[in-house]
Amino acid sequence: MTNTIQILSIEKTGKESLLQKEHNNKSIKIIDGYFFSKNLDNQKFNKISKLISNEVSQTILTKKNVNKVLSSYSNFNWVVEIKFLPGVTDNIASTVKEIINDNLKSSFKSFELGSTKIILIKGRKDDITKISNNEANPLIQTIKIYSFKKYLSNFKKNKFKIENVKLPKKKYSKKEIDLDISDQDLSLIGKLGIEENDKSRRGTLGLDLESLKAIRNYFYTIKRKPTDVEIETLAQTWSEHCKHKIFSAKIDDIQEGIFKKYIKGATEKIIQLRKDNFCVSLFTDNAGGIEFNKDWIICHKVETHNTPSALDPFGGAITGIVGVNRDCLGFGKGAKPIANTYAYYLADPNKNYQLYRQKNNKDPMLPANFIAKGIISGVRVGGNCSGIPTPQGNVYFDDRFAGKPLVFCGTVGIIPKKIKGKLSYKKKANPGDIILMAGGRVGKDGIHGATFSSEELDPNSPVSAVQIGDPITQKKMSDVIIRELRDENLYSSITDNGAGGLSSSIGEMAKESGGFIVNLEKVPLKYNGLYPWEIWVSESQERMTLAIPPANVKKVIKKFNSRGVEATIIGKFIKKEKAIVKYNKTEILNLDMEFLHEGYPKLNLKTSFPKITKVKKKIIKKISLIDKLNKLLSSPNIVSKEFIATQYDHEVQATSIIKPLQGEGKVFGNSTAIKPLFDDEKSIALSQAAYPQYAETNPYDMAGCSIDTAYKNLIVSGANSKKIAILDNFCWCSSDEPDRLYQLKEAAKACYDYAVAYQVPFISGKDSMFNDFKGFNKTGKSVKISIPPTLLISSIGVVDKISHLTKITPDNGDILLVLGNTRNELQDSVYSKIIGYEKSKNPVVNTKDSLRIYKNFEKANKLGIINSAIGVDLGGLGIAITKMAIASNKGLCIDLKSKNKISVDQFLFSETQSRILVSLKKNKLANFKKIFKISDYTIIGKCTSSDTIEFKDNKKITKGKILDFAKSYKKNIKGL
Amino acid sequence: MKVLVLSGYGINCENETLHAFEVVGFKGKIVHINDLIQNPKQLNNYQVFAIPGGFSYGDDTGSGNAMAKKIMTNLHDQLIDFSLKNKLIIGICNGCQILINLGLVPNLNKKDPEVAMIENKSGSYECRWVDVKVNNNKSPWLKNISILNLPVAHQEGQFMIPKNLLKTIKANNLIGLQYIDHDKKLAKGKFPFNPNGSKDDIAALTNQNGNILAMMPHPERAFYHYHVPNWQNNNSKKFGDGYKIFVNAKKFFL
Repeated sequence: MTNTIQILSIEKTGKESLLQKEHNNKSIKIIDGYFFSKNLDNQKFNKISKLISNEVSQTILTKKNVNKVLSSYSNFNWVVEIKFLPGVTDNIASTVKEIINDNLKSSFKSFELGSTKIILIKGRKDDITKISNNEANPLIQTIKIYSFKKYLSNFKKNKFKIENVKLPKKKYSKKEIDLDISDQDLSLIGKLGIEENDKSRRGTLGLDLESLKAIRNYFYTIKRKPTDVEIETLAQTWSEHCKHKIFSAKIDDIQEGIFKKYIKGATEKIIQLRKDNFCVSLFTDNAGGIEFNKDWIICHKVETHNTPSALDPFGGAITGIVGVNRDCLGFGKGAKPIANTYAYYLADPNKNYQLYRQKNNKDPMLPANFIAKGIISGVRVGGNCSGIPTPQGNVYFDDRFAGKPLVFCGTVGIIPKKIKGKLSYKKKANPGDIILMAGGRVGKDGIHGATFSSEELDPNSPVSAVQIGDPITQKKMSDVIIRELRDENLYSSITDNGAGGLSSSIGEMAKESGGFIVNLEKVPLKYNGLYPWEIWVSESQERMTLAIPPANVKKVIKKFNSRGVEATIIGKFIKKEKAIVKYNKTEILNLDMEFLHEGYPKLNLKTSFPKITKVKKKIIKKISLIDKLNKLLSSPNIVSKEFIATQYDHEVQATSIIKPLQGEGKVFGNSTAIKPLFDDEKSIALSQAAYPQYAETNPYDMAGCSIDTAYKNLIVSGANSKKIAILDNFCWCSSDEPDRLYQLKEAAKACYDYAVAYQVPFISGKDSMFNDFKGFNKTGKSVKISIPPTLLISSIGVVDKISHLTKITPDNGDILLVLGNTRNELQDSVYSKIIGYEKSKNPVVNTKDSLRIYKNFEKANKLGIINSAIGVDLGGLGIAITKMAIASNKGLCIDLKSKNKISVDQFLFSETQSRILVSLKKNKLANFKKIFKISDYTIIGKCTSSDTIEFKDNKKITKGKILDFAKSYKKNIKGL
Repeated sequence: MKVLVLSGYGINCENETLHAFEVVGFKGKIVHINDLIQNPKQLNNYQVFAIPGGFSYGDDTGSGNAMAKKIMTNLHDQLIDFSLKNKLIIGICNGCQILINLGLVPNLNKKDPEVAMIENKSGSYECRWVDVKVNNNKSPWLKNISILNLPVAHQEGQFMIPKNLLKTIKANNLIGLQYIDHDKKLAKGKFPFNPNGSKDDIAALTNQNGNILAMMPHPERAFYHYHVPNWQNNNSKKFGDGYKIFVNAKKFFL
């Protein structure tokens, strides 16, 4: 009899080798453990062990062999046992349960099971502690460190235990909340949550005093007290995450708010100007949609998952990516996800910031490298397991992300324009439609996620806000929806369960019909003992909510079930504009829809011009040009991100046409393309840009640069300029401070100006306004770390023909030219950070010139005049030149006399925007000159057959080997 | 000529796999594993059984294991029957891992799995293009092919083969594909040419009959010329190397 199955690999695994390398070559062995709540007799032990292990590559530990087997590897002396805390998603355990149920059927049931990682080491206790710090997160896992002797004794005495979710078995009775209390007590409810009978608090609601007063007034007028569920629901619905109160607030003299005026306003203006509207769905749905061809629509959405990723990087990032996948599934009647995008803004993984959420070195922030690695892995597992290619992304490092990493996750989807004759992007839940919840079950995970993303990260941040995604459950659900239900028109509306869970998804959908009645006791739960309010706001992942005409319900449920997906009727949509929730027939929520969605007090914001801190001068290093190039190439923000590209499957779905690694020399590209349909040669080009480093100097120009770069990269890739759309993701800090709001307003204004100038519409966006860390440093001093304001612009465009797609590799004999003039704009550049700072300006985009250059580039490219092209961005022209050389493995000869009136360093490293480095075949130069204005380009050199880049300055020639540049460019990032 | 392409529980390359078969002349259908279990007789209508790539059961308990157990419990006899007829089976990536876990490849002792698929030596997921060569194998899938440029994308692509078995495998010419370097010589385990550290640079195995191919690289992702990296430098052909595998399947039935 035993209650554990433990399995180890006979040979050293890749993971074990990695761990060993990280920990001074100590002997390490990893055991996959499964702890059961019930004892297994010998027969069941043998049968189950066989089902979940591999005879050829693994050994199953038994009481008899454990000593002998383990001692054959090493004299281990320390052990760490890592398993998930009760209630945290344990995907491996679910699979094992399913295998057991499939094979043992009724002979072994009603048991609990948890998966465990057991790491053995020959070393000291310090070593095992270090390993556990790197491998486990105390927020979601229990970590037990003990001696190897103890491990053996545990094994022999059946001492391995799983802990179940322990929830009070109290019966729920309707709870009314008295709001007729002092302002101070009201504020406490907002900040710490509703008080339980035992005086404990549920956790932050993120409601300010004004909102609570609005709630109180509403209940005065309907002459009763609110229930706890009503307050929880209002907190979710009114959260910054859901309502974007800052973007819709009156700000200075802008009555309609910056979203309406600058973002939506830009798109409306563009549509009015252009008359060729290719936008089909703007701002209102889960994603924004544009026309792909006459039969298909593509949609794009980018989300952030910053706070969850700070607490649990892996879990935060995986839920980020599978969450935004659901935004596509919830676009119109359900778009198929066809590409993921990512952008991470991280602290230096090689630094130890030593930050604490509480005094006296308590409650530490996770180390920067743990966060970076976790985020990268989370998106890897989420994307790869879902079968969605992840071609497009980037990573940027800055110390100011030490308090909060930014994790942007995006998805592109595709959907036929019409389904059975009806427009696919229109949906409407009708009165009488059944509310069906499909996918995963509901647990305590993610309670208070939406409300807490509105708050700064401080000691009271709830840890249950963390969730772990289960991409396979989602994949099963997604396959049924896209492949078997959607095209049969079996449902009237669909949306995903993200922030705020059911309260948010049903609340939003009910706007289409009028209102809703939900019976919460019908919702399937992961474990018993959840309070109704918890069921209602839980953010358990992998769920979609569908509105289904009653006649189709049976068919739909049957389809889901036949694919191993759970689907449950939980209520219906009604015509009356009421939000009604019942629990075992007791009505626990009854609100007017109007109040639910519009009853929150509108903010009235004021801004003030911020103090600009002068950049400190830094002496310019006196090193050679070649050394400067190598230093820049190996700097973290320029160095190749190949190690991410190769772990993210970008080939699945067989659509990758311009890959993340470009040219023979594999340069990490700034745009990529996929060809989503087998029978149409059109493809989708993707890019993105953000310049947090420019933000503090001038937020207006920062936003201009982001839009210019994201747009330019698609022009350079070969996209049709008439079919490019952009998305805005504002990640701001301290958005209750007037000077931060000033920066926000300036950036939003630039969004309008540049989008309208380029006539490139915004189709979707999102904001995250409080990316600040408040806590303590190692000496106990209180610190606040704010991210630099970061505006990520994601661009999506249609490339009409395969022949329009460009490459970044020139050929021998090509002439090299730069389009666009280079100015002395080195301020806040990579050069200024790595090499030194001289008096300069920050980059400013001049759309009059850039537009002309882009139009001409597009024309020249269609005519086949351009042989290769690369957008000039971080590190300037010098880096663009070396990237071309590395990618093609061809020599380049650069004439520095072409620099005109600026210095060599300014010419090569200035980050002046709107420039493109191109190469032409010699015989195309005449045609090129017919298209471009002479002042718009500079011939700077040619492509040769040598293995060097030569820079000629009068008679002096400086040479650098391509091989050496490639080495610098492909250096590992320290700490990763 | 008809192909059944399996789907469900996290398999995710079924569309492009079916497409590749269709372009070379097959008719085909994507069939969910649960539908196949409901009605296994439908296998009789097909000449090719394809298990595409993906992440069945999220690779939990080892890549391909859980799905193999599901097939073993519910479809074992039918699949054995299929394999003994003059029909073809292919498993690509996760499909390869499933076939290996089923023991259908190399299938020398006709019972339990003899080979295991284990984690890449690098310890990380590897999505990259590799060159592989065909090594004296008589499988209809690999006929008249010498070298292929294909992408791999996997976490567990290392073939682990007990020494004695490896000898038998070599003696019977069951190694389908091997990773090679830029000079077209065996990669000898060198990364990234051999992306996972597989012994003898093995990228694919067959059964003795040759009608079952278990391969880690993805031919369906190298089907058209524009799938191949830097295709703009070599724009003359319509198809990539993966096409050859599917054409071979078609030729087998002509």
